[in-house]
Amino acid sequence: MSTPTPSEPQGSTLSGSAAGLAGAPGAPAPADPVTARAAKLLADRLPGAVLESSLSGRHPSLRIAPAHLVEACLLLRDDPDLRMDCLHLLSGVDWPAPTPTAPAGEMEVVYHLVSYARKPDAVTRRSPLKNDAFLVLRVRVPRSAPDVPSVMGVWAGADWHERETWDLLGIRFTGRPPLRRILLPEDWPGHPLRKDWEYPADYHGIPIIPPEGR
Amino acid sequence: MAPAADDVVLDPELQQSVILTKLEWLKDWGRRNALWPLQFGLACCAMEMMATAATKYDLDRFGAGVFRASARQSDLMIVAGTVTHKMAPRVRRLYDQMPDPKYVIAMGACVIGGGPYTRFGYHVVQGVDLVVPVDIYVPGCPPRPEALIDGFRKLQERIRVRGGKSLPPDDHLKNRERILAMSGS
Repeated sequence: MSTPTPSEPQGSTLSGSAAGLAGAPGAPAPADPVTARAAKLLADRLPGAVLESSLSGRHPSLRIAPAHLVEACLLLRDDPDLRMDCLHLLSGVDWPAPTPTAPAGEMEVVYHLVSYARKPDAVTRRSPLKNDAFLVLRVRVPRSAPDVPSVMGVWAGADWHERETWDLLGIRFTGRPPLRRILLPEDWPGHPLRKDWEYPADYHGIPIIPPEGR
Repeated sequence: MAPAADDVVLDPELQQSVILTKLEWLKDWGRRNALWPLQFGLACCAMEMMATAATKYDLDRFGAGVFRASARQSDLMIVAGTVTHKMAPRVRRLYDQMPDPKYVIAMGACVIGGGPYTRFGYHVVQGVDLVVPVDIYVPGCPPRPEALIDGFRKLQERIRVRGGKSLPPDDHLKNRERILAMSGS
């Protein structure tokens, strides 16, 4: 594979990672332009909001302080360069391993944002930032008090995603209409995707084989 | 020719124009050749069930093409697709609404024993035979239409040989022992 010269145009919309693969071994991977732009915006306008940023690699993301989440999302949505107008996906992760700040482990919420206003041109496959218009935010809260501010006020479509995340993982979203179960039955015991969830012996008289018997 | 009732000797001339049989035999003959399935599907197996009923496989050849939208007009429940714990009470309610005699075909791996969800699925009933009595099991993931037709023919054969009486409505309770035995390990 020949190393492209800087003047050579990068045809792929994933130009960042393509250049990284073709670059000299040991060279630092180039930063994802969208994530870097968002990190700079948040550092300027909301100091302390970004707790951790991984700008390069296959999964660049920003970890946001829960207290600043809604403000940060509003900034990213309304910034004329980024225009993250759509919450593509909201999902939860259970991290039961103890950490110094959370002895009982942590819960994480992952936000995948996408900009339809800034999506790549249909003909040239290029966007103004020369990358896919995706941005990933992460928020971590202690497992003992999994309260995350709701982003329903920023993207109304977060409603069902937050209900599902609460339904399956028990992450509580605050500042929104009351959370109701959306997938499981109303009287289901607990939140089954938590790592410490225990199988009930039966549900409405139908026996359930515990995992060790399967 | 229908099997004649025992100990009846007919005039040979009369045998040309009269069929003497048991009323039960006649009723079973009607039942097995006009099984009306309940029109409901739970997951991907329902696609194969629809294909079975459609023109190419034509379940109507066996008198079972009349899928009824009401449980009260159905004789046969084809449970086609994953039964979740949320859905199980509804399946049981539909079964209870069907008039006797009624039959159940468990179609596909999920319905028979939980299928791919057996190991890690917290939400899937580990066999619909824990919810309703099952007459015929059709394995597959999903079963081909030929397999469903085969199961259907076996049900017809069963009605012919054993009579059209359906399983007792609490027949599924015996399957709980299977689960309890597995829980003890």
